[in-house]
Amino acid sequence: MKLRRQSLLTEPPASAASDIAFILIIFFLVCASVQEEDGRPQEIPNSDKQHQSKNPIRVNIERDHLKLNGEVMGIAQFTSKLKKRLDAASDAEGKTSEALAAERTVAVRCSPTVPYDRWMEVTATIEDLGGTIALMRKVE
Amino acid sequence: MILQRRKMNADVPSMAMGDIAFLLLIFFIILARVSDDSHLKVNKAEAEELVKPQHKRVSVAIDNKKITYLNGVRINPDDLGLALYNPDGGPGARGILGDFPPGERTVLLKIDKDTPAYLFEPLIQAVAKAGGELHHVLEEKK
Repeated sequence: MKLRRQSLLTEPPASAASDIAFILIIFFLVCASVQEEDGRPQEIPNSDKQHQSKNPIRVNIERDHLKLNGEVMGIAQFTSKLKKRLDAASDAEGKTSEALAAERTVAVRCSPTVPYDRWMEVTATIEDLGGTIALMRKVE
Repeated sequence: MILQRRKMNADVPSMAMGDIAFLLLIFFIILARVSDDSHLKVNKAEAEELVKPQHKRVSVAIDNKKITYLNGVRINPDDLGLALYNPDGGPGARGILGDFPPGERTVLLKIDKDTPAYLFEPLIQAVAKAGGELHHVLEEKK
């Protein structure tokens, strides 16, 4: 006598499909929300005349060079010269904290074609040295 | 002779709960994507010593096609200032930053690294004028 082999049911239950989809969506949502937003905070004060220096440090950003108070230089020379200038500003005696803050203002004028990564590099250097950035733009 | 009223079974089929949750999730994902800028293509500039933003109230982006977005929605750059803060607006219409106190006025800036200054500088100035606290979204320098 032949015994029939019982066929095994291997299909997953269809009712679990929506639960699987639900778990998958949660997984992808969590992955998507981990998108990194690390960066640098930057303080650009609103145009407040009380805190403006009469003779601020002037920086011009061009595509291939920088100007510090009109003098053309590269980024390394710019960093050392600006550091000296800002250190001198903070050492001044007999000045109020507001006056000292105004002395550390760096007026940044940028050529219109300078890309964002270069602008970011220069302004980050100024901030790291303790300068406060004031954007200078032509009024149209 | 008293006829007994037949009881009506009005239970919601519990089998459908998974499907309902699934559809609700899809609905909320689509809603969230509208005010999200994760679909934008931005090549980030590099910098060192990056920090995480304290708040994520607003994001302003310029993508690799040099188009400006506010919270993932395309905007005319000239309208950004008033969209962020409108001092003449009535209650509830003072812009996205409205009357939030300092420390809660963070504006994330996601700008493509090749964007020229004539496009991104007006945005930075508009954010500063609106009292926004700038946070440049960058990539760690390797």
